[in-house]
Amino acid sequence: MEDPWMFYFDPNRCIGCHACSIACKQRHDRDPDADDWRTVTHLSRGEYPEFEQLPVSMSCMHCHDAPCETVCPPNAITKREEDGIVTVDRDRCIGCHYCAWACPFGAPTYGDEGLMSKCNMCLGQGPGSGHDQPPKERPEDGGLQPACESSCVGDAIKAGPRSEVLDHASEKAAVRFENDAYGGRVVVEPVDEDAELAAAVRENNTDQAADWLNG
Amino acid sequence: MTDTQQGDDGLGLTRRTVLQASGATAAMASLSGCLSWLDTDDSPVASVAAADTAYGNCWMCHHACGQELAVKDETVIDITGVDGHPRASAGPETEGTLCPKGLAEMEKAHDPDRITEPHIRRDGELEQVSWDEAFEYTAQRLEAFDDEHGAETLLNAASWATTDLHGIIWGNLYGTPERIGRGRHVCFGGPHLTGGLMGVGTDMRFVDYQNSDYIIAWGRNIFESFAGQWEPKGVLEALDNGATLVVVDPQHTPTAQKADTWLPIEPRTDGALALAMGHVIIEEELYDEEFVEEWTHGFDQYRAEVADKTPEWAAEETGLDAEVIREIAIDFAEAAPAAGIALWTGVGQYAESQKASQAVFALNGLVGNIDRPGGLRLWRGPPFSDPFEVRDIDLPNNAEGKVPALRQYEEYEEYPFRHTTGIGHNQVPEMVENGHINGLYCHYDNPLTDGNTEAWMEALDEMDLVITVDAYWNELTRRADIVLPEAIQLEKDTLIDYAPAWSAYHDRTWMTASKAAVPPQGNSKPGFEILKGIADEMGWGDYIPWEDEAEFNEDMLANVEYSFDDIAEQNYVILDEFGYEQWEENGFPTATGKFQFDLDEEGGYAQSIAELDAQYEEIDIHTGPQWLPPGTFGEAPDDEYPLHFYDTRAVFFAFGADQVLDHPRQQYAKKHGLAGEDYEGNYLVMNPSDADERGIETGDMVTVETPAGEGELMAYVSERTRPGFVTAEFGFGSGNSHEEGMNTMIVHDGQTDPISSQVDRHMAAEVRSGGD
Repeated sequence: MEDPWMFYFDPNRCIGCHACSIACKQRHDRDPDADDWRTVTHLSRGEYPEFEQLPVSMSCMHCHDAPCETVCPPNAITKREEDGIVTVDRDRCIGCHYCAWACPFGAPTYGDEGLMSKCNMCLGQGPGSGHDQPPKERPEDGGLQPACESSCVGDAIKAGPRSEVLDHASEKAAVRFENDAYGGRVVVEPVDEDAELAAAVRENNTDQAADWLNG
Repeated sequence: MTDTQQGDDGLGLTRRTVLQASGATAAMASLSGCLSWLDTDDSPVASVAAADTAYGNCWMCHHACGQELAVKDETVIDITGVDGHPRASAGPETEGTLCPKGLAEMEKAHDPDRITEPHIRRDGELEQVSWDEAFEYTAQRLEAFDDEHGAETLLNAASWATTDLHGIIWGNLYGTPERIGRGRHVCFGGPHLTGGLMGVGTDMRFVDYQNSDYIIAWGRNIFESFAGQWEPKGVLEALDNGATLVVVDPQHTPTAQKADTWLPIEPRTDGALALAMGHVIIEEELYDEEFVEEWTHGFDQYRAEVADKTPEWAAEETGLDAEVIREIAIDFAEAAPAAGIALWTGVGQYAESQKASQAVFALNGLVGNIDRPGGLRLWRGPPFSDPFEVRDIDLPNNAEGKVPALRQYEEYEEYPFRHTTGIGHNQVPEMVENGHINGLYCHYDNPLTDGNTEAWMEALDEMDLVITVDAYWNELTRRADIVLPEAIQLEKDTLIDYAPAWSAYHDRTWMTASKAAVPPQGNSKPGFEILKGIADEMGWGDYIPWEDEAEFNEDMLANVEYSFDDIAEQNYVILDEFGYEQWEENGFPTATGKFQFDLDEEGGYAQSIAELDAQYEEIDIHTGPQWLPPGTFGEAPDDEYPLHFYDTRAVFFAFGADQVLDHPRQQYAKKHGLAGEDYEGNYLVMNPSDADERGIETGDMVTVETPAGEGELMAYVSERTRPGFVTAEFGFGSGNSHEEGMNTMIVHDGQTDPISSQVDRHMAAEVRSGGD
């Protein structure tokens, strides 16, 4: 599809407050201790006082190439033609976790009856509710704004058709996106504070990320 | 993260388990038509769209961010912020949001653990009763208390009520002069007192962010602990506009992360940094001579005090680099007046904090940033009318002529702060022992969270009458004689009168209101109706003629063109414009009518200082800004207790009443990577160097020990804190409503700032591996 929905994230505006995680949980009526559809991870590194900690808010990015869809044995996952949103049909899901293996963002969760559930950009509410919903509409056309975006205190999360998201992004972020940063799956602003940290986050350098997490 | 998920055994998944699961698919599919939770017609998102819209004004931290709710069948099913709201947004045309606390008010609305029935103590046990019985019993006990002890020995400890009716009931009508609040006594007493006396007000916390070129967050973590989301949003806008952010904090915070410069200062040495900045600004002749000449008092004393406070001297005290101190001072002064200092609890909760905050506030007078665009804003509230005047009610003042015990009895002559305030939080247990306080009316606030906790618990047992209005069971409510369950803000009609001043609208007054979104849970009642019920039973009904809070609120609006319904229907209204440099017209509200570096003209303060000076023969304590090293009044770490122990505020909780809610508590655990543990308390944040020395790792249970006692909690080892500086989130553990974890104040022994009465929350401690 030409203008699929996608997410945008600006780590410079994220204050690391987890409002996005709670808003998501509450809208989808999920248990507080369930795995989050939208997570906030605090990447850290360095020794005091050369310490840095960068909050990163992530969820299903509704990838253009949806690796989860490709690997799903019972074809429960759909990359929707009409709006680009990736949904799961829990009638078909067998809870095999293949999608978790394939997902670059750790988005699928399995707490709900052992079946996969994840972000559906608030197409529906609750696990599996995105499946078979009518096309996503923008808030100005009466659609429901995703809860994470709607509650982002720092205004760091945006969701919308790709063209709108890129309009909102800085030129730098847009250029990086065109150059296939994050595999073209999400638009992320470059980090102001630290070039090295930014590079590692951008390149999804998991070794370094793991170092920070352990640090 | 991805590594482990993609690892060979990360999920214990094998081909066999996949095949077994696949075998179950056909059976699952055949059942699916019967599974209603898969039926998209019942999708709750459709419900959100179709639900009724209601508003709230978030009362989780009481800074009233506008809340928009989706309500269906008397249940809140979705919650978000109100666009353009003065507290919930960055200003006009911007989106409103809610922080984790504000979102969790939805959980609180339907939390089954809330107290929802009135209780009274009979034959030693708390027993559920009807409201009629509860009111009748309360009145009987109050009358008996007055006969036996005197009404003047009841302490009014109401906090965060949505009207000031409690002041009328306990002060004017019952007739007690004893009153304790939060700001002065347990939250930021030093700056609260000092700001008022110097002329920048007791609400001196907020910069005119969006207009500022240079913001110093001094001991403030604005991105995590804010007085309404307009603050972090305003700072982000300022950064977008190219402003410089400097953070002074011993601990790395989300605010330090976003700062251009983070000054990782030695704890409690803020005064040294501030005086050295003053030294540089005067030396470089960068101060506002005209403002200093015309609008300040005591500059000569200040200039003399900072004469030898060089950056090199301050570097020794603060552990900061002298050149960096010089640079910050110059940049701040050059950016002024569009340069402001945001200061709150960080320079407010240690024993020397009155003097430290005086040294910091002096910088505002020096560079002339007060009430100028981008500087320290003097906010103005809306023109509420007094409902008692509107109704022409001739209220008696039965507390008139009564003197608070602290000021009356010789037992308290050793406390210099009795000349600057009427009570001290830490001293209440002693006053109970002396028979000068015999009862307590507590609303929402929990004194067990805020200092001298063990002594307070005993004092609650000693008191003859404890009345609490609260939503949860804890050591306070379980010890009370009367427990009255209050409805939460979302369950009642409210016009917010708690300081609707500071906001994203930097030059406009405003009001915010909402109607009950859902009915009160169980038999809980709005606080207004609880107080009215007591008043009626006490025979004061004629003084409180309003049926409910909305009717009372209507009489607060005589000066504006809006009715309560008008405001509540749109959640907020923006009112008149107010200009900058308000002191040009009105002067400063101080003894000299000017901004005061030196507080020698403030009688009560000067008397406090004179008494304190007499107590400390070796130091010359005076009324001007002055350097008092850590340990002058408070504790300093030593060989036996080598660590600084201090309590902190996370974005997930305000005070001690939100920790009971699962959503914010789970995210607090997730932030620390400890959500998988059975333990659901607070964490002791320690630097790896301190942890290694003691054989402690993240996830271990540890014991914190001070001379006053011990507490246990889980360790979180991180470079985010300074070696030698350990911290824990407050509001957890025994005494609080969420009893798991450690009450940071259980190891507190009554340490106090002798000038302001503020609880000194900063202790010397040792930590060892293992709990008991």
